[in-house]
Amino acid sequence: MVHNLQFALQSAWRVLLVGLLVGAGLPALFALGVRSLAWGAGGDAEAHEPGTAGPKAQPIGTVLGWACIGVVLLGVALGITYIVASGFGKALSFEHIFPTIVDKQ
Amino acid sequence: MTETTVVLVLVIVTALGFDFTNGFHDTANAMATSIATKALRPKVAVLLSGILNLVGAFLSVEVALTVTNAVVKIQNSNGTPKAELLEGGGSALLLIVLAGLVGGIAWNLLTWLLGLPSSSSHALFGGLAGATIAGLGWAGVNWNGNGTKLDGLVGKVLLPAVMSPTIAAIVAAAGTWLIYKVTIGVAQRFTENGFRWGQIGSASLVSLAHGTNDAQKTMGVITLALIATGDWADTESIPFWVKAACALSIALGTYLGGWRIIRTLGKGLVEIAPPQGLAAESASAAVILVSSHLGFALSTTHVATGSILGSGLGRPGAIVRWPVAGRMVLAWLITLPAAAVVGATMWWIGHAIGGLAGAIVIFLILLALAAYMYWHSRRSPVDHNNVNDEWGTTPELAEAVR
Repeated sequence: MVHNLQFALQSAWRVLLVGLLVGAGLPALFALGVRSLAWGAGGDAEAHEPGTAGPKAQPIGTVLGWACIGVVLLGVALGITYIVASGFGKALSFEHIFPTIVDKQ
Repeated sequence: MTETTVVLVLVIVTALGFDFTNGFHDTANAMATSIATKALRPKVAVLLSGILNLVGAFLSVEVALTVTNAVVKIQNSNGTPKAELLEGGGSALLLIVLAGLVGGIAWNLLTWLLGLPSSSSHALFGGLAGATIAGLGWAGVNWNGNGTKLDGLVGKVLLPAVMSPTIAAIVAAAGTWLIYKVTIGVAQRFTENGFRWGQIGSASLVSLAHGTNDAQKTMGVITLALIATGDWADTESIPFWVKAACALSIALGTYLGGWRIIRTLGKGLVEIAPPQGLAAESASAAVILVSSHLGFALSTTHVATGSILGSGLGRPGAIVRWPVAGRMVLAWLITLPAAAVVGATMWWIGHAIGGLAGAIVIFLILLALAAYMYWHSRRSPVDHNNVNDEWGTTPELAEAVR
């Protein structure tokens, strides 16, 4: 019982840390992407006084926005890779920081 | 056809039935938020989730045959059944598995009737533990493992059940808070279109992960039964038809959609806006994948519920219905023991009658229970037409039944 509690707590805080990074970080980045796109599009995409034309378009915002969303898509691709790899009895290793597919231990 | 073969067929049919309930019980985990925020039409959402579950289940190329080892001691560490259970063509093992599955299905159906998202893996493990206690005594249950790693009923089932929803809630609350901070000043119409795609993407990940994780459990159980009767010998692989049948049952179940549970999770617990839906599903996907990467077993249902609750906590002024949350937690607490009691009762009935007749009787009891609960559900049907109705306009399942 006691050792199980220790093991569980050990795993739990790692799940929490990585979960926060990926599970809250990526959607926040996605939101940042959406905001940049709105900044890039200007006009009605941004909140502004009714009756006025709204802020003007900022092309750099569109570029930044897609860059953010691109990073999010990479994260999703990593998730899919993990699911597929584990189905084939493989695992992802972050030993070399860059994720690689290895045999499950 | 010998008696054992008939019992084996009953076990397989019941296992596929369990897989089917597992599917519709868990549609809500992935799709409740997308349906509630209208990112996807209800029928499209269940179709997408069903297809992804099917794909996910077929991706399970390497299936662990040791699925029951986490909670009961009816298998050796290489996946073969314990020798003492194999006398009489494996009938002792078959009865334990059959009674356990009946316990799992009965509890899944009851919680579905009440619109409560309870864990299907708890129901299965509870049923198996109960049937094992009845059949082999208290020592037949793997309570704590051997102390070298997270294992046993406590380590693989109980502790994660407390921790995983908490973690998911914290992650989803942080995500929701951040998203609202970041998107201040962006027109609502613009954000909703963006978040629509974010929600669909994250919910799809949850569906895919569910297909690979949950269908495997049934595949393992059926293959265990086949090994017990001598119809399969290879512990390194499973028969293709088992994989195909399990994949189809879980996908069909998902497509059918547990609308009662979708309603509770999507409308009842928290009033969800698109940014919250995105945060909740991303948190679920992240927590499920990271945990399984670290070997921390968990229930998709607990994570999804925790995430949705967290998305309500992270948004200032959001409506969180605590009475609904309380009833869910209560259902979680009693899932394991309740399924265990049914599993044990079924084992005693089956054992008292004995042999083929015993197995047939408990199978018929299951059919009667299922028919009764289905009939009961027709008195207050919930389907894709009324799943998104305003909460509280009709007597709510998750609140009203006392």
